Amino acid sequence: MGTKPVLVVHGGAWAIPDEFAERSILGVKNAVKSGFAVLEMGGSSMKAVEIAVRALEDDTVFDAGHGAVLNADGYVELDAIIMNGKTLAAGAVSCIRNISNLVIFACSVLEKTPYVMLTGMGANQFAEKLGIPQVPVEELVTDHAKAEWEQYRKYNQKLQVHDTVGAVAIDCEGNMACATSTGGITNKMVGRVGDTPVIGSGGYADNLVGAVSATGHGESIMKVTLARLILFHMEQGKTPEEAADSALHYMEKRVHGRGGVIVVSKTGEWTARFTTKQMAWAGIKEGVLMYGLNPGETIQEIIKPSK
Amino acid sequence: MKPVIVVHGGAGRIFKDREEGARSGVTRAAMKGYSILKQGGNALDAVEEAVTSMEDDPHFNAGCGSVLNEKGEVEMDAIIMDGKSLASGAVSAVKCIANPIKLARLVMEKTEHMLLTDHGANLFAKAMGVPEIPGEKLITERSRERWSKNLEDPGTVGAVAIDNEGNVACATSTGGLTNKLVGRVGDSACIGSGGYADNHVGAISTTGHGESMMKVVLARLILYHMEQGMSPMEAADTALNYMKTRVGGLGGVIVVSNSGDWAARFSTKQMSWATVKDDQLHLFSPSDCTVSHLASC
Repeated sequence: MGTKPVLVVHGGAWAIPDEFAERSILGVKNAVKSGFAVLEMGGSSMKAVEIAVRALEDDTVFDAGHGAVLNADGYVELDAIIMNGKTLAAGAVSCIRNISNLVIFACSVLEKTPYVMLTGMGANQFAEKLGIPQVPVEELVTDHAKAEWEQYRKYNQKLQVHDTVGAVAIDCEGNMACATSTGGITNKMVGRVGDTPVIGSGGYADNLVGAVSATGHGESIMKVTLARLILFHMEQGKTPEEAADSALHYMEKRVHGRGGVIVVSKTGEWTARFTTKQMAWAGIKEGVLMYGLNPGETIQEIIKPSK
Repeated sequence: MKPVIVVHGGAGRIFKDREEGARSGVTRAAMKGYSILKQGGNALDAVEEAVTSMEDDPHFNAGCGSVLNEKGEVEMDAIIMDGKSLASGAVSAVKCIANPIKLARLVMEKTEHMLLTDHGANLFAKAMGVPEIPGEKLITERSRERWSKNLEDPGTVGAVAIDNEGNVACATSTGGLTNKLVGRVGDSACIGSGGYADNHVGAISTTGHGESMMKVVLARLILYHMEQGMSPMEAADTALNYMKTRVGGLGGVIVVSNSGDWAARFSTKQMSWATVKDDQLHLFSPSDCTVSHLASC
């Protein structure tokens, strides 16, 4: 029980409209509290990131699970990953239309198959075999997503990035984990897979270094394998904040992409950094909850340890 | 810059009766890619051509000759990457097309995306006018036998190259694992795992146990070691050794650095590979590597 547990979550890096700001903050605060409760009771970082991401997936303000954006056909297609920093085992799913808590499914891929990633129809058939609840594809389509999609189709707007939820954690045994889940980008091509389920891009966790969950322009994140890149920088002695800033800066310079990341190191240092206009984030360590939305903003709340 | 191409036809065990086919297959692929480079063509075209040649060759687990999934069907993954722009294109779980690597190139050049999967990849192929072929056309007697007897998998194919302007590229293509679940995606479609190319460092294509390569993001890891000053061979050996000790997986890699140094290394029993540099062909052999001068270059 040497390590002080830490949990950090994000609700996506993009220009968050004002009407979403308050709900986004509330959403990340709720998620981080529910995940941290697991850690406080001595639970594993894997369980904590799963619980936190489930809470975010269930919140329609975020683009994952319920509330996800629609593809060119008017349906949602979801991607997710979860990774165990102790074993480097990971589970990922891509292009799923009818499962609301994708992080649970990703976890099953990790636990019940010798594989890392399942996709499309085959993944759905496997989910059915496992008895993972499937919902009618229409159920995951919210009015807001539909309106946005229609707007997009009408005016042929440029791809609007609005993306992804995630969590990183270290538990009291020093084990690290990350999880990321997304609906991707509005009006994406059918079958488009972004960075989220691609190990090393949307997330990576390694007990020897730290854990990262990424969000933002998916294709740019993939080009620089952002999550792994940040951990490389940390292996060379950078702090989580220095590593995140240096990798995000590199991504902007080399491939002109913006994004955001949450990072926790093996010693429990953590950070939430972004180059987009905003990112909703929240973290808990040693009874202190911190959260923010705008660049440079950090709001602190003392929370009472639950008995 | 003197052009270099390295290709592999998979890491694993090469059965005696398959050796000659593997040898002529990787030689043909390397020569085809090299002749593009020699004529001033770019690294992307060279790796695409080399991998296409091995996809068309039934000896290899890619394109025609791919292994079969649990339902007895072929589902393929492929990636191509341009080291200059870091742009890449990939497809996963795609069916009924002859050359996934060509579709991956189209994803890179004709879409704003990088990875298309399953049904969506096939829809895109159709929209691009890529001919759909019956799935059986990709199935060989050998792959059916391997499926029914659950024999060991032959590996993935891949290529890395540097052209005379110093641009590097990589390409990887595979049918994956015999008897895999429908929808299983391996390392080959995942940027950083199945391949990575960066003009500032070099290019990598990997083969072997896909899930292990994903866990350590093998291609990116090797380039990271090279950024720290290791030679391609040291970097490849260090990363393969790490993969073995940390996650218990075996594999093989081909590497070319931005200065034209190259390596073909593996922790499996064997790996079929071929390199052409300075008009000389280097080719795997059961004992060691053989070098021969190319009259044809």
